[in-house]
Amino acid sequence: MIFDANKLRDEFPILAMEAHEHPLVYLDNAATTQKPQAVLDALIAYYTTSNANVHRGAHYLSDRATAQFEHARDRVARFINAPQADHVIWTQGTTDSINRVAYGLEWCLKPDDEILITSLEHHANLVPWQQLAFRTGARLRVLPLTSKGEWEPEYERYFNEHTRIFACTQVSNAIGVKTPITDMLAAAKAVNAFTLVDGAQAIAHYSVDVQALDCDFYAFSGHKMYGPTGIGVLYGKPHALEVLTPLQTGGEMVSHVTYNSTEFNVLPYRLEAGTPNIEGVIGLAAACDFLAAQDRQGMIEWEQKLARYVFDELKFNTDIEIYSPASDTTVVSLSVPGIHTLDLNSYLDSQGIAVRAGSHCAHPLMAQLGVSSTLRASFACYNTLSEARRFCDVLLEAIEILGDD
Amino acid sequence: MTEFDRDAIQARLTTCTSKEATFKELVSLSKQLERLSDADKTDEHKVKGCESAVWLIEQQDNGICTFQADSDAKLMRGVLVVILSLANGRSKAELQAMDLAAELSQFNLSSYLTSSRTNGILGILKQIQA
Ligand SMILES: Cc1ncc(COP(=O)(O)O)c(C=O)c1O
Repeated sequence: MIFDANKLRDEFPILAMEAHEHPLVYLDNAATTQKPQAVLDALIAYYTTSNANVHRGAHYLSDRATAQFEHARDRVARFINAPQADHVIWTQGTTDSINRVAYGLEWCLKPDDEILITSLEHHANLVPWQQLAFRTGARLRVLPLTSKGEWEPEYERYFNEHTRIFACTQVSNAIGVKTPITDMLAAAKAVNAFTLVDGAQAIAHYSVDVQALDCDFYAFSGHKMYGPTGIGVLYGKPHALEVLTPLQTGGEMVSHVTYNSTEFNVLPYRLEAGTPNIEGVIGLAAACDFLAAQDRQGMIEWEQKLARYVFDELKFNTDIEIYSPASDTTVVSLSVPGIHTLDLNSYLDSQGIAVRAGSHCAHPLMAQLGVSSTLRASFACYNTLSEARRFCDVLLEAIEILGDD
Repeated sequence: MTEFDRDAIQARLTTCTSKEATFKELVSLSKQLERLSDADKTDEHKVKGCESAVWLIEQQDNGICTFQADSDAKLMRGVLVVILSLANGRSKAELQAMDLAAELSQFNLSSYLTSSRTNGILGILKQIQA
């Protein structure tokens, strides 16, 4: 199996579009990825052949829908190497997954306890913990990681007998650096903290093995891995899921209800109140199948090669500051001192190039980097070398036009 | 206070035949904008809902409005020059009777005005009419 981005592109109909009379160059993949035909087909097929509510009706369509829905759970479990399908909880996305854990563990926190995150977190893996700390009197602590994703050995002391929860991203969305997740998880486990990994930026690029990671919780979004929006996953170890207080209650998640009491259903249903996002689940499973059918090693090497190309093209340009690492990343996050990133973004957009300018939902990290925003080009499996080249050319053009003082 | 010549600005922008030229023209217009002092860039003067920071200060003299504006983004400063060329030297009643968005659309700025930018700019226009 040889990875060929130019061939793979053909499976993504939207990439043939033009934007502002230029061929669309989509480099905003860390925000959301485009969807392959196989995912689109799965959504249509579901509505044209199987639409019914799940787990409810004893009728033909409901049986079909339920079978597909639960089969999707198996496929997603296999994709992340979860030992069992009922360790996979459907959510709306990473944000929802993290919020469910932050709410569900509230009972175990008291004043003086500590919740530990890192300095590279997206607001989705920061604000829920901060608010949880406010509610319980626990302390939110921030483990400093450098923009190279390194940590100082003396930071072991951040993990101590007060640490109840450790939550960390696997890959930074703002600058694309990997965190030292294995070492940090080991330190967190040594002090018996609950561990949550934010996999939103990892899942599309790296083969994720939740058993090898050995974290209590793993959260990710379908839309960042070629699947639909509005669907995500909370994986958890059984004992960890078991102790979560359900954030939402209602139908589906119960086994017996009286006016005075409710007996909750077993996992995974206990944590899935209401009619689920059935089409999202089916689309997500199709996205897993799409990825599983690729040469994943070839794919990540290709994506990293594109980021590396941009890094090398721009690294000697004294107008440009790059915040992403030189290698082992699929993202190039940069700024041009003296030119607003929104202005750069406007020019790139006018030439059909989609990137992201802003603080990337990471205000504290931007402060650490000493900028208010960066311009981020993020690559996916369908991007080509000529797109990477065009990004560099147009960026330099933008700097020339906008740098005129 | 610089007076901006609306017709001249419109002529400059509408004769741009490429997006590159429009961006260059906005950069060139941005240089005409008198920058606000840091002391004037208060939260009170900040226009909400803009992607880039925009500050707007209004003064009235004998019923005639004069606006000063600034932004941390150069292209926005160019657009502010266009907006001030429309708004300055008019009475509030006159401004309220105008369709400022329609006026602005005559300046050939569509390659710059993405939807999220347009929202911010509508906020500026609303504040001018308020
Ligand atoms: C690292 C990280 N965590 C969490 C999120 C939130 O994901 P979602 O908006 O899909 O819930 C994102 C999305 O940008 C992200 O990049």
